[in-house]
Amino acid sequence: MTGTDIILSLKGIAKSFGDKAALKRVDLDVRRGEVHVICGENGAGKSTLMNILVGIHAPSAGEIVLDGRAVRIPDPIAASALGIGMVHQHFTLVPSMTVAENLFLGRQPRRFGIFSDRREMVSRAQELIRRYNFGLDANARVAQLSVGQRQRVEILKALAFDAELLILDEPTAVLTPPEVDELLEVIDGLRARGRTILFITHKLREVKSVSDRVTVIRHGESISTHRTADVSEADIARDMVGRDVFLVGRKGGGAARSFGAPVLRLDRVSMANPHGRLLLDHVSLDVRAGEVLGIAGVDGNGQTELSEAIAGLMDIQAGSIRLAGRDVTRASAAERQASGLGFVPEDRLDRGLSVTMSVAENIAATNYSRAGILRHGFVSRARLDAFAAEKIREFDVRGAQPSTPVGWLSGGNMQKVVIARELQRDPALLVICQPTRGLDIGASEFVYERILAAADRGRAVLLISSELSEIFALSDRIGVMYSGRLMRVLERAEADEATVGYLMNGGEERAA
Amino acid sequence: MREATLSLFRALGAPLVAIAITMALGFLLVASITDDPVQAYRDLLFANFDSLGNFALFLNRATPLTLIALGVIFAFRAGIFNVGGEGQLYAGAIAATVVGVFLADLPAVLLLPLAVATGIIAGAILGWIPAVLKVRLAVDEVVTTLMLNTIVLLFTSYLANQVIRDTAAYGAVSRVVPQAIWLPPMPGVPGATSGFLVAVVLAVVAWVVLFRTEWGAQVRAAGTNLRFAYAVGVPADRRIIGAMLVAGGLAGLAGALYVLGIGHRFEQNFSPAYGLVGLTCALLARIHPIGALATALFYAMMLNGAAYMQISTDVPRSLVNLLTGLLVLLMTARLTAGRRG
Repeated sequence: MTGTDIILSLKGIAKSFGDKAALKRVDLDVRRGEVHVICGENGAGKSTLMNILVGIHAPSAGEIVLDGRAVRIPDPIAASALGIGMVHQHFTLVPSMTVAENLFLGRQPRRFGIFSDRREMVSRAQELIRRYNFGLDANARVAQLSVGQRQRVEILKALAFDAELLILDEPTAVLTPPEVDELLEVIDGLRARGRTILFITHKLREVKSVSDRVTVIRHGESISTHRTADVSEADIARDMVGRDVFLVGRKGGGAARSFGAPVLRLDRVSMANPHGRLLLDHVSLDVRAGEVLGIAGVDGNGQTELSEAIAGLMDIQAGSIRLAGRDVTRASAAERQASGLGFVPEDRLDRGLSVTMSVAENIAATNYSRAGILRHGFVSRARLDAFAAEKIREFDVRGAQPSTPVGWLSGGNMQKVVIARELQRDPALLVICQPTRGLDIGASEFVYERILAAADRGRAVLLISSELSEIFALSDRIGVMYSGRLMRVLERAEADEATVGYLMNGGEERAA
Repeated sequence: MREATLSLFRALGAPLVAIAITMALGFLLVASITDDPVQAYRDLLFANFDSLGNFALFLNRATPLTLIALGVIFAFRAGIFNVGGEGQLYAGAIAATVVGVFLADLPAVLLLPLAVATGIIAGAILGWIPAVLKVRLAVDEVVTTLMLNTIVLLFTSYLANQVIRDTAAYGAVSRVVPQAIWLPPMPGVPGATSGFLVAVVLAVVAWVVLFRTEWGAQVRAAGTNLRFAYAVGVPADRRIIGAMLVAGGLAGLAGALYVLGIGHRFEQNFSPAYGLVGLTCALLARIHPIGALATALFYAMMLNGAAYMQISTDVPRSLVNLLTGLLVLLMTARLTAGRRG
């Protein structure tokens, strides 16, 4: 820390959308030259707060003091003029343009006021890259860069505007563990150059080493600010949720467990897109009864295709899929479900639910005859409601009546509806993808318990997640996908973050 | 049943508000045209009930509208934007006529059901074609249903002019179907087709099928989120095709019942764009079957009432086009506002 003078001070910031208060009262002091982490659950108001700082939203109440001066930030241009730069979670780069072109998009150096001065632009880009030691090629096309490199281009873009205060929104969400380490080095370097960094995340563990102070936001209010060194991860989690949190995990390290016969067996499964590129490249795996097989990997390396191939939603070109001893390679989704498949898709709004239909109808979906909802061939409204009410209770779906449109629920409660439906059949194989994406800690706990309970009942579970912490917490074995290939399946005991991270980046097995 | 009543109320509430606003604005307009706006409005709204004859014409107008709207509802619930109501209607009408004219020697107990069934099947085929093209080849159904309208209208025109034309009559009309298979009039309302009763019953049946059967739930799942339907194992493709068969079948039935109950022959241009108006009725009722019965009655009232109004005052009947346009505008505005909440 370079000093204690305050660069940014927020006093009683509140923001309402209609009659819904996104922020109730946020007080925050950011010191010059510090790395300040903002922690909070999904929906706590982190994004709203940052959008206020960069001028996307105007606060309903409260004061923003920048460099000792009360300011108004009407739009993002004003924010950058004030020296506030933001790196969004979703990149805003043009993939077909070079790094230099992206950096100076909309403000290229001009010659005679009209012609863009390419040479000047490239040299200034190179100068920027050199100054921050970012190791980028100014003439490389963004499309060819890795995700971590693209993020550095985003950061540079903000710095090129001379941002004093740099806001990073969930920057680690898209990165592999080695890339996270590199990002932290970058941040360390920026702090050394006197920049102030506001770092938004819900994963404190990753940034603990590099941050100075942490502020927790819960339900739109700033709860606490601590020196990072003084608090543990558990302390922060407690502040975030408002109670003690016990994240469950697979106990006993898997050594003492015995598993049954394989329930799911993939043999050299391959899938290509219409251009002939392999999306799944000879994937073979077994999931045994009573076992949780975790599939780790950066998003977009074939996990979606793997899950949809197993669920019967995408055709495979080669290989075979056996489910509970039956060859289901060519079977329809309905046939696979009848053979014992439960499928929780990665995006509940896309495939998991029909948001305009009621909670009851979403849970019933294909369970009508199985759950005894039909009477003389017609849907009995009383039985449908009773069935749904029972599931709502069992799965603790908050704020839901059987007739509530499912789209009115929060993300966590929507996910519970999906899981309630799929577990209703007590499937022999549960394929569950990104089970806690967008969920708060409380809902995540619940989902984890259900996954482990299914495994304990002797069901096979295939857990596909880009959230490494949950892969490690829940899995008996861990497979890593990279570029459509299943790199390796590790026993839980031999898997550590370094090895998995290495494989996630496409590294072959390290020399033993 | 309380839930069902509530949902019906929700379905009807919004259109009623929109209708009230439209009527209020329309009255201002009428007041600026004529010296006697009250008389004009009375005719527009109530002349339909002045005599049993007027009332019969009103029910005859509502019958095809209701049936087409019900068909459109099945298509929309399955996520298919079916604008082929007109073509399906004409197909049903011409098919029933051809059967009635060419097989006139058959006993009525056979010929009547045969004519009705042929009408339904003809409409259903026209629904099936775009559905299969959509499901198998992802061809846009708006284009196919619209194009099929033109094809069917021109083809029926050919048949009516060249093949089954009644040369003794004026205009492009077919020979009359045997009187034995004419539908009986509605009890108590001579001149009104008993086809209206069929439409009322089918509105209730449509509600039950869509909201109280697993088939209906699957149709709606496919219509609201197709990728969801696939993922939970709903045979979505079959349900979409099934819903379009029903949609075409209902419009075809509308055509057959028009011929058997009202026109007694195929008349080129017998439809004042029933297909389009039926579609509007379905949309205004927020694709709810019982609501569609109400909106179809309302449209029938306006269409006929405008004619009476034009006779008795100097307000042109095209006022009704303006009013319905306004109504659609208000309803769509409501729909959008509702979606945000």
